[in-house]
Amino acid sequence: MIMNSTRDMKAPCVSLWLVAAVFFLCSVRARGLRRCLISMDLHHIEEAFQEIKKTIQAKDPFQNVTILSTSETLHRIKPLDVCCMTKNLLAFYVDKVFKDHQELNPQILRKISSIANSFLYMQKALRQCQEQRQCHCRDEATNATRIIHSNYDQLEAPSAAIKSLGELDVFLAWIDKNHQGTSAA
Amino acid sequence: MDWGLLLCFSCSVIKGLRKNGWLVREESGVTGVWSKCLILLAHKKEYESLYMSHIWIPSSWCSPTEGPECDITDDVTATVPYNLRVRATVGAQTSAWSTLQHPFNRNSTILTPPVMEVTKDGFHLIIKLEDLGPQFEFLVAYWRREPGAKEHVKVVKSRGIPVHLGTMEPGAAYCVKVRTFVKAIGRHSPFSQAECVKVQGETLPLALALFAFVGFMLILVVVPVSVWKMGRLLRYSCCPVVVLPDTLKITNSPQKLISCRREEVEACATAVLSSEEPFKAWI
Repeated sequence: MIMNSTRDMKAPCVSLWLVAAVFFLCSVRARGLRRCLISMDLHHIEEAFQEIKKTIQAKDPFQNVTILSTSETLHRIKPLDVCCMTKNLLAFYVDKVFKDHQELNPQILRKISSIANSFLYMQKALRQCQEQRQCHCRDEATNATRIIHSNYDQLEAPSAAIKSLGELDVFLAWIDKNHQGTSAA
Repeated sequence: MDWGLLLCFSCSVIKGLRKNGWLVREESGVTGVWSKCLILLAHKKEYESLYMSHIWIPSSWCSPTEGPECDITDDVTATVPYNLRVRATVGAQTSAWSTLQHPFNRNSTILTPPVMEVTKDGFHLIIKLEDLGPQFEFLVAYWRREPGAKEHVKVVKSRGIPVHLGTMEPGAAYCVKVRTFVKAIGRHSPFSQAECVKVQGETLPLALALFAFVGFMLILVVVPVSVWKMGRLLRYSCCPVVVLPDTLKITNSPQKLISCRREEVEACATAVLSSEEPFKAWI
């Protein structure tokens, strides 16, 4: 009977240790992923966007439709998928949105160029991080990216591009939220 | 070709100034001709080079510009390679574009420590730093100058405004050093030379304490004495007590005094009568 009670006591202890270890590993992994975004100067990008936001959003012909925020696509992304989702969205803007948008106003062109080049730099930083840490894409991140691309393709390229540009504040706020609390290198 | 335009064209060499900022500057030193030139500056960043090779973006403040120097900090907003091109215009004539030999990336900037002024306000350690612009932050380290002292670090973002670092202990020397940090490019300068200040010891406060003590003791003695004296003065002024001289003091009882006085009067009267008789007889 004594042996049974000892065994009974050990089982919960082992489970607790296992849970603690899993939790620790998950937090380290999540922190590692968030640390991928340390060197991004978001404040400058947000400032540049604020200067052109009204003009860009006023040009949007389909105000009732959204590309990024369908069913809160971004807000449902889990910490484990942040790295992959960030990488995908940066590629979305750099390879698609900025290319499809033809801007004639030099002042707006200057700001969009600044944002585009900052995204390019962020892609490079993320690539380095990917080489050191894991930035795997799970189904959730892949599906969310597919939804965004599908929303974009339903509109004509210029209209989709101007709408996506107008939703940059959604993307920037999401990045800011998901790497909040990390310290600069 | 106009001599001025030729000089403008040949002198339009671009070089990024790599010290705490990004400036376009002409290197030939020819200044007199520039007053006739109008300079147009455009840049092409990595994104445009990769995706839109035909696009050059005019500079915010340097297109057009007069003179050989122009600040392109507001144009260089991403940490990517920049290609710059410039040409000159004089009247109807325009030179060809001149471009950078090697693209410029702002993370190649050489940062230097700022000008620092260390002062003390009583026991407070104050520092004032040079204003280098909104992109710059400063890491200030200060410590008590003694072996094994702990170094305190403070991030200062305010520009040109005195900042309070800490409170110093009397009689101790404190040293301060600072370095520049630019978050946008993730680089910092080396630390500056340390500057030290010393706070005076406690002799002045001791003298003040002694003086205060003596003053307090004086007050403790003088005030009661003054109050007592004032009380006596008031008593004499308001309610004086009549003090009779000894000769007027009555030592015996009044009855005895009256009986004594009667005897004295009778004796006096007898003495008076005896002296009055000759007077009466005379009358």
